[in-house]
Amino acid sequence: MTTDQDLSMDGALAAAVFAAKGIDVTPKKDQGIIKVFKRHGHDGECPMIGDRVTIHYTGSLLTGKKFDCSRDRKESFSFNVGKGQVLKAWDIGVLSMQRGEVCTLLCKPEYAYGSAGNPDKIPPNSSVLFEIELLKFELGETLTDDGGIIRRIKVKGDSYLNPNDGSVVDVHLEGSCDSRLFDIRDVSFVVSESEDKGVPLGVDRAMDKIQKGECCILYLSSKYGFGRKGKPEFEIGPDKDVVYEVTLKDFKRAKEPWEMDLHEKLKLASEIKHKGNQYYKAGHYYHAVIQYQRIVSWLEMEFGKALEQQKMINDFLLSSHLNLALCFLRIQDFSLVVENCNKVINLDASNEKALYRRGEARLRRNEFSLAMADFQLVLQVNPANRAAHHQISTCQSKMKEYHELDKKTYANMFQKFAERDTKDGRTKRKRDESVRSSKNNELGIKRRRSQDRLSCQ
Amino acid sequence: MVVKGLPERPVANVMMNEGKVNDLIQRWRDTPEEELTPEDREHFMDLACSCLAQGESERLLMFLQDDKNRRMVHSMGCVLLAPLMKEALKNEKSWDRIQSAITHVTTTCGPDEVLRNLLDVMEDTDAPSISETLVQVVPHLEAGLLRLTKGRASWLGSALRVLHKQLTRLPVPYTEEMEKEDQWGLGRCCHALTTFTQAFSGEVRNHEDGERREMKTELLNFCMRSLREPLLEAPLTPGTTTAMWLFASNITATLVAIQESAADLLFFSTMKKNIQMDKNQLAESKGCLAYLVFVKQLDAERFPIVFSPEFVLRRNLEYIHQLLRSKKESHVLKGLALFEKSLERAQDNSLLVTLLEVKSFYDVKQSLLQVLTECPMRHLRESGLTVLQLLINKLDAEAKHKLFGNLLKTSKHPGVEGYIVKNIRNQVEFSMKPGNATRWFLGTEFVSLLRLAFSLPQGTETNVLHDMDKIMESLNLLRYLLIRDKPLRSNADVWEGVCGIKEEYTKMLRVCISMSRFFYTGELNELRDEHKLKARAARASTCTRTHLQSQPVKRDTMSKMSPEVRHQVLQSALVTFDLMESLIARTEEIAAEKNHDRLDASALFCLNEQKKRQMF
Repeated sequence: MTTDQDLSMDGALAAAVFAAKGIDVTPKKDQGIIKVFKRHGHDGECPMIGDRVTIHYTGSLLTGKKFDCSRDRKESFSFNVGKGQVLKAWDIGVLSMQRGEVCTLLCKPEYAYGSAGNPDKIPPNSSVLFEIELLKFELGETLTDDGGIIRRIKVKGDSYLNPNDGSVVDVHLEGSCDSRLFDIRDVSFVVSESEDKGVPLGVDRAMDKIQKGECCILYLSSKYGFGRKGKPEFEIGPDKDVVYEVTLKDFKRAKEPWEMDLHEKLKLASEIKHKGNQYYKAGHYYHAVIQYQRIVSWLEMEFGKALEQQKMINDFLLSSHLNLALCFLRIQDFSLVVENCNKVINLDASNEKALYRRGEARLRRNEFSLAMADFQLVLQVNPANRAAHHQISTCQSKMKEYHELDKKTYANMFQKFAERDTKDGRTKRKRDESVRSSKNNELGIKRRRSQDRLSCQ
Repeated sequence: MVVKGLPERPVANVMMNEGKVNDLIQRWRDTPEEELTPEDREHFMDLACSCLAQGESERLLMFLQDDKNRRMVHSMGCVLLAPLMKEALKNEKSWDRIQSAITHVTTTCGPDEVLRNLLDVMEDTDAPSISETLVQVVPHLEAGLLRLTKGRASWLGSALRVLHKQLTRLPVPYTEEMEKEDQWGLGRCCHALTTFTQAFSGEVRNHEDGERREMKTELLNFCMRSLREPLLEAPLTPGTTTAMWLFASNITATLVAIQESAADLLFFSTMKKNIQMDKNQLAESKGCLAYLVFVKQLDAERFPIVFSPEFVLRRNLEYIHQLLRSKKESHVLKGLALFEKSLERAQDNSLLVTLLEVKSFYDVKQSLLQVLTECPMRHLRESGLTVLQLLINKLDAEAKHKLFGNLLKTSKHPGVEGYIVKNIRNQVEFSMKPGNATRWFLGTEFVSLLRLAFSLPQGTETNVLHDMDKIMESLNLLRYLLIRDKPLRSNADVWEGVCGIKEEYTKMLRVCISMSRFFYTGELNELRDEHKLKARAARASTCTRTHLQSQPVKRDTMSKMSPEVRHQVLQSALVTFDLMESLIARTEEIAAEKNHDRLDASALFCLNEQKKRQMF
C-alpha cells in the first residue's frame, strides 16, 4: 500500500516539475506528452514523417526504475518515425526533435503502454519517462523491396483508407528531375493504369500507401520513373531518377475482390487482360505485369460451380501466367518466369508455350541441362517447333563452352593449391631462403599460365 | 620406377617386403615436395592403412612423430586424416594414440590442406556416424582456422556450410525424452557447433576490417540456417538440459555477438544483409527467431519494448503465414503460438480495418483457414480456432464486420461459417448493451452482413445436411434477432431489411429441406428394398451357391458403408430435418407473437384514444 502511495506521490511530483519546465507536444494539447529539453539540436533540422531516425533512449518508470535502455545494449535504435511502429509518444515526440537534440519525455499511459502495461516490466496504467537523443535521420522510407521508391511525407493524410488497384484518384503532381520542374498538373487516373495519363510507374505503385489529403515527396529510381527510354515530352533522358511531389486530393476505391461475385470478376478480368495486352504491346512491361497479376489474385482462389465457368477461370489463369512469364522474360527476371511457367505446367502439363518460355528462362540463367529438357518436352508436344530445335543446339554449344570454362577454372584451382603447398613446403624446409618470395611467385604464375593454355586446348 | 612396380593394393605385400618399404620411405624423405606424385600419396595412405589394420597404431604414431619424417608428413600427412578419423570411431582401445596422430598431422600440415581434408571427411560421412565424426572433426577445424593467416572468412563459411548440411541429415527429436536420450547425437553436434562458433563470434566483435565483416556474414548465414533447421522442428522447451534450447540460446547469443539485433532482423528486413537463402526459407528462419523472442521470451531483456503492438503483429504476420502454410506439425504449432502472442499484446477492439487490407493479413487469414479446415490434427485445429477467436476479439467493430463478411464469402466451409454466424450473434448481443451500439452490428451496415449469414450456397439445391453447421447457427441467430427485436425496429430500414431476409431465407430453406427429405427418404426406402431383396436372395442361395458368390461384388460397387451404418446415417439426417423445421416453425411463432403483441399494443392504444374521446 505504501509503495503505491509513494508511486503516485512521485508521479504527481514529476508531473508538476515537468509542467513547470516542459512543453506539451501533443497535437490535442492534452498534456499527454510533456517535453523538457536537456540539450538543443545542432542545425535546427527536424525529421519528416517516414524518415528513418536513429536514437539512443532510456525508459524508466516514475519510481526511477529503468525498464529499457539502448545504451545498456550498446546499440542505437532505429525506426521510421510517425508510422505507428513505436509507442505513440515516440512518434509524436521524436518528430518534434532536432538532429543532435537530447530531451526527456513524460508520457501518459494512453501515449505509452496503456491500461495493459507490459508484463513483468511496466504496471498497468503507468506514466513513463523517456530520455531520448536524436543521433541522426535518413531521408524517407523505402516503399518497395528494391528501394526504387522512397517517400517523405510533408503533410499527413486525414483518413486511414488508401486507394487500391482500380481506384480513381485525383492528384496534384509536381515532377522534377535534377531540380528542374518538368511537370505540374492536376490529374485524375486509375491506379494500375497511370501510364495512360503519362504518370510514371512509381507514382502509381505508391498510391496504395498514400492517404487522402497526404502530401508527399517520392524519389523514384529510373525503373519507377521513365526507364531506359526516358520521356522526350518532358525532356528527360534515359535512366534518369526523378522526384515527384504528390498530393492525393480525393479518390474512389474500387471493389475488393471479395466484394465481387464470380460473374463480375470474370467480366472485369477480360477487360484487364485486354489492358495488359495493350501495355505489353506498347512495351510497358511493368504495367502489363500489374494487370495480369490482378487477374491471378482474383481468380486463383475461385472455383467455378459450372464446368463452363471453371474452364473460363482456368483459361484466364493460364493466359495470365503465360503473359506474366513473357513480361518477366522481357524484364529479365528469370526466376519469376520459371515460377509462372511452373504454375501453367501444373494446370496443363503439355503447354507448349509455358515449356518453351521456361526453357528460355533457364537458358538465360545458365541452367543448360534443365533448359534442354524443357525444349525437348516442347518437341514432344509439337515436333514441328523449329525454334525449339534451334534452342536445343544453342544449349548444346553453350554447355560445351561452359564446360571448357569449368575445366579452366578447376585447372587453375588445383594448380593454385599445389603451388601454395609447394611454397609452404619450401618455407619449412628453409631451402633457398634468400631467393624465395618474388621470384618464386613469378615463376609460379608463369607456370600456371602455361598450364591454362594446355587445358584450353 | 619402384613405385610403378608395386601392386595396386599393396597392403599385404608391403608388409611382407620390408626392404622395399624402407626404400620407398627413404625415397620420400629425399624427394622434394613438389616432385611427390599422387601415386606417392596413395601409397603413403595405403601403408598407414595397413598399419592401422594390423593394430599397429603405436608404430604409426612413432613414425609420424619421428623428426626425420617431418617433411614427408608435412607434404603428405593430410591424406591420412580420413582413415585416422574412421579408425578413431571404431577402435576405442587405441583412441588416444590415434587422436595424437590426428593432432600431429593437423598441426604439421598446411592449414588449407588440413581444412580441405577435414571437410572432405565430414562431407563423405554417412548418416549413422555423422554425430561422432562431427564432434571429432570440429576441434581440429577450429584449430586449423585459427592457424590461418588469411582467407579465414571463406574457409569459415565453407566449414559452417558443410557442418550444417550434415547436421540437417540427423533426425530432430520431438519430445523432451528423446532430446535427453539424444539417440542420433544431434544434441552433441549442436553443442560442438556452439563451442565452434563462439571461438569466432568473439573475434568478429572486436574488429571491423573486411575479413571480419565477411566472417560476420558467414556467421549470420549459419545462424539463420540453423534457426530453420533444426530449431524450427524442435520442441524448444526452456531448460539447461534440453540441447535444442541451449543451441537456440547460442544462436541468439551469436547474433548479439556479431551485432545483429533480433529487432532489426525481424522488423526492418528491407535492408541488405547478404543472407543466402530464398525468401520463404528466410521467412521460416525469422519465424523461428520471432517465436523464440516473443513466445519463449528468449533474451527478452535485449529486445526493445518500445514497438507498438500493432506494428509487432503486422511484421510477424509474414512469418506466421510462412509457418502456418507448412505441413509440419511443429511449424504450424509455432506459427499459432506466435500469432497468439502477437495478438495478445494488442488491446481488445483496438485493431483497425486497415489491418485487413494488408497483403500479409490476407495470407495469414487464408493459411489459418487452411489449418482450420484441412489440418488432420485435432489439437492444431482447436488452437487455430482459439487464435481466430482472439483475432476477432482484438478487431474493432468495423474490422470485425469486414472480417465476418469476408470469411462468410470465401471460407466455403460450413463449420467456419457457422462459427462466424455465432460470433455475429455475440456481437449483436454486445451492441445491444447501452453505449455499445454501432452501425456495423445494429445499423445500416448490419443488413449486408445478415444477407451473407442467411444465404444458402447453392440456393434451393443446397445440401442441407452438408451445410447443417451453418444453417443451425443461422436459425439460432434469426431466433435471437426476433426475440430481441426492439433495437432493430428503431431503424425502419434495418428492420425492413431483416424481415425481408428472414422471409426469403425461411422460404428457401423450407424448399431445401423438403427436397433433401424427399431424396433421403428415397434412399432409405431403397435401402430397405435392397435389404429385403438380399434376404430373399440369401434364402434362395441355400439352393444355388452361385448367387451367394456374386453377392459381395454387387454390394461393393454400391457403397463402402455397411447397410447398418447407412441406415443410421439416413435416419439421423431425417431427424436433423425435423429439428430444422421445428426451429423454423419456432421463429415464425415468435415473429407472429411479436406482431400480435404490437397489434395488441396498437389496438390498446386506439382503444384508449377512443375512451379518451368518449370521456370528453
